[in-house]
Amino acid sequence: MSDLFSLIFTADFLGSVIRMSTPILFVALAALVGSKADVLCIAYEGIMLFAAFGGVVGSAYTGTIAGGLFLGLLLGMLLIGIFAYFVLYLHTKPLLIGLALNILGSAGTVFGLYMLTGSKANSTKLGSLTFPELHIPLIKDIPVLGTVLSGHNVLTYVAFLSIILVQVFIYKTGLGLRIRAVGESPKAASSLGIDVNKTKFIALLISGVLASLGGIFLSMAYLPYFTRDMTAGRGFIGIAAQSLGAGKPILTGIWILIFGFADAIGNLAQSFRLPSQFAQMAPYLTTLIGLVLINIPRDKKKTDNPL
Amino acid sequence: MINSLKRKQVLTSQEISNRFSILRTALALLLAMGIAILLIFLVSNNAFRDIRSLLLGPLTSSNRISQMINKWIPLLFTGTAVCLFFSVGQINLAAEGAFFAGAFTSTVVAIIGGIPPGLHFILCALAGGLAGAIICGLPGIMYTKFNVMTVVSSLMINYVVLFLGLYVITNLVRDPAAGYEASYRFKESARLGELIPGSNIHTGLIIAVLVVVLGYLLLYKSTFGLQIRTIGANAAFAKYSGMPVAKVIVFTQLLGGFIAGLGGTTEVLGLYNRFGYSGLTNHGWDGIMLAVLARNNPKYIPLAALFLAYLRTSADVLNLTSNVPSEVINIIQAIIISFIAAERFLAGWEYKTIVRNTEKSMALKEGVTNE
Repeated sequence: MSDLFSLIFTADFLGSVIRMSTPILFVALAALVGSKADVLCIAYEGIMLFAAFGGVVGSAYTGTIAGGLFLGLLLGMLLIGIFAYFVLYLHTKPLLIGLALNILGSAGTVFGLYMLTGSKANSTKLGSLTFPELHIPLIKDIPVLGTVLSGHNVLTYVAFLSIILVQVFIYKTGLGLRIRAVGESPKAASSLGIDVNKTKFIALLISGVLASLGGIFLSMAYLPYFTRDMTAGRGFIGIAAQSLGAGKPILTGIWILIFGFADAIGNLAQSFRLPSQFAQMAPYLTTLIGLVLINIPRDKKKTDNPL
Repeated sequence: MINSLKRKQVLTSQEISNRFSILRTALALLLAMGIAILLIFLVSNNAFRDIRSLLLGPLTSSNRISQMINKWIPLLFTGTAVCLFFSVGQINLAAEGAFFAGAFTSTVVAIIGGIPPGLHFILCALAGGLAGAIICGLPGIMYTKFNVMTVVSSLMINYVVLFLGLYVITNLVRDPAAGYEASYRFKESARLGELIPGSNIHTGLIIAVLVVVLGYLLLYKSTFGLQIRTIGANAAFAKYSGMPVAKVIVFTQLLGGFIAGLGGTTEVLGLYNRFGYSGLTNHGWDGIMLAVLARNNPKYIPLAALFLAYLRTSADVLNLTSNVPSEVINIIQAIIISFIAAERFLAGWEYKTIVRNTEKSMALKEGVTNE
């Protein structure tokens, strides 16, 4: 056991926490923007898969990272665009269209993979590209901190920067204000001349960009290729994390680091013959307990729960 | 007399709505099939044979028909369970976990020797059902006591159950002699027999049909069912009219969880001689699709489930006989859910039809009074 603890507090381990946090951080921020517009989207699994697949295909066929980024974002946005259209204009229950798009995301990418490579498992044959790592000058030379903070993938820095960007966007810009307005009181917003559906659509598209980046990270950084169902429930953890973070970007970011920590311990625990299942369970169990804890002190009258 | 005769010629708005809902379903099916056929043409080396397999594959042999019925059975359980959750207005997605929990909990009971047949299955079913009830009950309790969103908590619980189950199977009841990650053999006394000898269809079918019938009677023919549906439609109203809202919600989740858990039990004890799942089985997610198709009424679950079982059997046939990935079937499924759930799909047309119809019926009525 003491070995385990000495491993946890190494710079390498903390670095891996940051790496594992990246994709869920993107989704959590995506879910946060969606929830500000009061739309519950569970389709992030499907969106991430489409984006991850698009990234691989785009980069393999154009030979450029930009091509991968473009196609990845395009496919991710296509899926959230369908989601938004169905929810806002065809009055579909978000849960159902979300469920459908998750199925489509999983099946559609496997089908596409098979068409292009003949394999239903992974895209190693395509020879796609990955985003580069960024070694920050000066910081990388600091002994411990350098290993923790420097040398990560570019997208990891984008993810952590997005916490601040989303914070500023939601609370300091006009569009952010309009999104919060249509989320909290669509009637009041509409009486002030805000186009409710259009604003929600824009919010969802922004949410889609963030979730797509999470997917692209999976196939163009975390792993150098696409594997079927590679999101492995991260879309759902992202939703839970934003729920725990009570819609606050920075608090959500902290929860994500806790998940990343639990995830990384899971990887370590396996080498110590602890039942790996308990370690794998940890992030989900943490969420459940956290959800109960954050809701205990809240004033019941403030919520819309009729009970 | 003339009045009532003439009125028969015009439809009520309700009837028009129902017709449009059938039309929507039909269009969704057509669209999905069209896209599937297109996809098959894209990849298949023998498109006509494969389209035939997709449309008629499950009917080509008696073996495939029994296969289809065996796929139908678990869907009846999870479909009915989700109807209960959704009817009371809870988006509880834990049927997936409950089904898995039912399967691995009953496994632990099913490997104990020395229990007489019959009783052994009942004990397994109780264990599986109770496990399912706890899994689905937790999100209900978390919602009513702590106001935790059911969607989020039930999603997380599914994963907790998955890893708990894998732990139990790989560490506590794993048979090292099995040759793969699987439990010890179930004792014969716990297993479900064949319904008709030689058919491969297990007796879980009887339990499944009973569950659907009882689920329908409970939801649509009992006072408790009325309470469930009232709470689902408007919880605040139900509260002010004195219904025990929290209790009904929790009880409905427990009951639905029990049904889903029982489904997991019958599935493993009917089809296999060991527990060998290495991940969640998707039956719970299927249940959600079925509840949507059936509009939360267990009465329509058998038909919807048969349709899904048919598609899944087609997928197996495609897998065995062609190079078309069976994922085509899941794409079909996604398209169907989307368009059936899209309430405003064709809404403009429906609205115009209702307006025209009302004008017609008013004109008729005026004609009658003028006489």
